[in-house]
Amino acid sequence: MLKVENVHKSFGGILALNGVTFSVEPNSITGLIGPNGSGKSTLFNIISGFYNKDRGEIYFKGKKIEGIEPYRIAMLGVGRTFQISEVPEKMTVLENLLLAPKSQIGEGIFNVFLHPLKIKRENEKLLKDAYEILELVQLYHLRNEYAGNLSGGQKKLLSLGRILMSDPILLLLDEPTAGVNPTLIRDLIIAMKNLRAEKGQTILLVEHNMKVISEICDRVIVLDFGKKIAEGTPEEIQKNEKVLEAYLSGSSKWELLHEDS
Amino acid sequence: MGLVNFLVYLSIMMGIYAILSLSLNLQYGFTGLANFGHVVFFCLGAYISTIIVLVFKMPFILGLLGGMFVAGLFGYIISIPTANLKEDYWAIATLAAAEIVRIFFLNEDWVVGGGPYQGGAFGIGGIPQPLRSLFSAHTYPFFYLAIVLVCLVATYIIINTLTQSPFGRVIKSIREGDNLPQALGKDVKRFRMKVMAIGGSFGGLAGCLWAHYHGFISPNQFLPLETFIIWAMVIVGGKANNKGAILGAVIVMIFYNSTRFLKDYIPIEAVTLASLRMVAIGILIVVAMLFMKEGLIKEKKTLY
Ligand SMILES: Nc1ncnc2c1ncn2[C@@H]1O[C@H](COP(=O)(O)OP(=O)(O)OP(=O)(O)O)[C@@H](O)[C@H]1O
Ligand SMILES: [Mg+2]
Repeated sequence: MLKVENVHKSFGGILALNGVTFSVEPNSITGLIGPNGSGKSTLFNIISGFYNKDRGEIYFKGKKIEGIEPYRIAMLGVGRTFQISEVPEKMTVLENLLLAPKSQIGEGIFNVFLHPLKIKRENEKLLKDAYEILELVQLYHLRNEYAGNLSGGQKKLLSLGRILMSDPILLLLDEPTAGVNPTLIRDLIIAMKNLRAEKGQTILLVEHNMKVISEICDRVIVLDFGKKIAEGTPEEIQKNEKVLEAYLSGSSKWELLHEDS
Repeated sequence: MGLVNFLVYLSIMMGIYAILSLSLNLQYGFTGLANFGHVVFFCLGAYISTIIVLVFKMPFILGLLGGMFVAGLFGYIISIPTANLKEDYWAIATLAAAEIVRIFFLNEDWVVGGGPYQGGAFGIGGIPQPLRSLFSAHTYPFFYLAIVLVCLVATYIIINTLTQSPFGRVIKSIREGDNLPQALGKDVKRFRMKVMAIGGSFGGLAGCLWAHYHGFISPNQFLPLETFIIWAMVIVGGKANNKGAILGAVIVMIFYNSTRFLKDYIPIEAVTLASLRMVAIGILIVVAMLFMKEGLIKEKKTLY
């Protein structure tokens, strides 16, 4: 599904990614963890085309993705969320969801005037999908609120709902549950698992919450200082010496992780 | 000028400027494009239509469509080299593009065939008015007002339909940054180009209506100051609200013309009067920004 080969990226003097190689199996949920600043978001930005890599290759469904604009990568079926929620403030929650589906008929200026009925029907269908997703992320009651008025956690939920609405093949989720209350996280985990089963979607997930990781991930990849230091099942990772060391020296987050688990 | 004549004149100006502010509102209010050179479309519409009708002796409607087409094309084309500029640089680039076009018409008088039509700094006079022979001097302004109103209503309907469509949804998301629409597979650059083209062609429509109403155009009617006036309309009326854009045009035009009555009350020179107009509009903008950040009519929430 996704193959990342020997990817390098530096920002000035900072080597954010230093030869990262891994692959993600179709229909799997893969966790990407690592201390703060280990390069997780940078990797997402490179896969989705927002940053250019210095070296290395990325393959999506066997095809190399090289030097193309982010919107084209999205059109190929790679959906992503942002660590800091990207939420158009002056659009309602519902509008945010309706924006997501790709290549809508009504996005063409001539279609707007030539096919008003088709657009109306398309919109009605999208609305139905949107209501379902809003129930899932528990934002239905806020559907007509400006997205700018949502709390941080609610914006995360909206971003998740929106990416589900766009129906990608591969989802890159950057800390989708940060700031979301634990009971809702549980529901979302179940929903994500169901989605994978139903639609055969593949998920690559950045997450600091070890509980979430061990509950939903088939495999986990650990980054530290831009290098992959471990890979395996959640159980293996939690016992891995290198991983423990990275977290102990790098930051205090590990304690947080264990508190949770 | 009698009161009725003045009111008809004022209404025609309001209508023409409302088309300009609707088209800038599409670009700035809905898409977030800080276009500081909107007058360029006004200018192109006026010149192209004049050339088509006066020099090539074609009917008014072809001048109108030609003016819209060239202005729209210009909007589309200037978005290409500027597509990767940051907002502030982009604004400066649009300002510069507008001045380049104006200075072109200022210096290149051959574009109107030279000779009888002069052109260049002297401007072009004798621009024919559509169906002029069917009306008396007294009734013609009323007919022209009707033409302007038809154009305004059409502009409003087209722009309003677009802004309420899925297309409108995408441009509203672009207003708040490229990242999200890009991540959702929207070709942001193309959307911007389309918005510049549509806004440009309606700006061109306004220019055409202006040229054939006054019968005379010259490059100094298309100074960057005009862009400032159109911006005032959008800001005062309410950005991202099409009714607001029209209301803004009406109010700013009233302010703009109110100073002409001052001379009846205070002894004042014509030159000072012209500058006072800009002061009046400046004050209007400041007041709007301080007390009504969102303008007179706020952006309407889209509900489903
Ligand atoms: N746009 C940028 N410009 C300069 N440096 C950057 C940029 N983006 C990331 N970096 C640097 O690259 C390194 C990796 O950052 P990245 O955001 O990928 O970390 P992360 O693993 O996502 O961390 P966190 O868990 O805190 O989100 C950091 O040292 C960061 O300062
Ligand atoms: Mg990150």
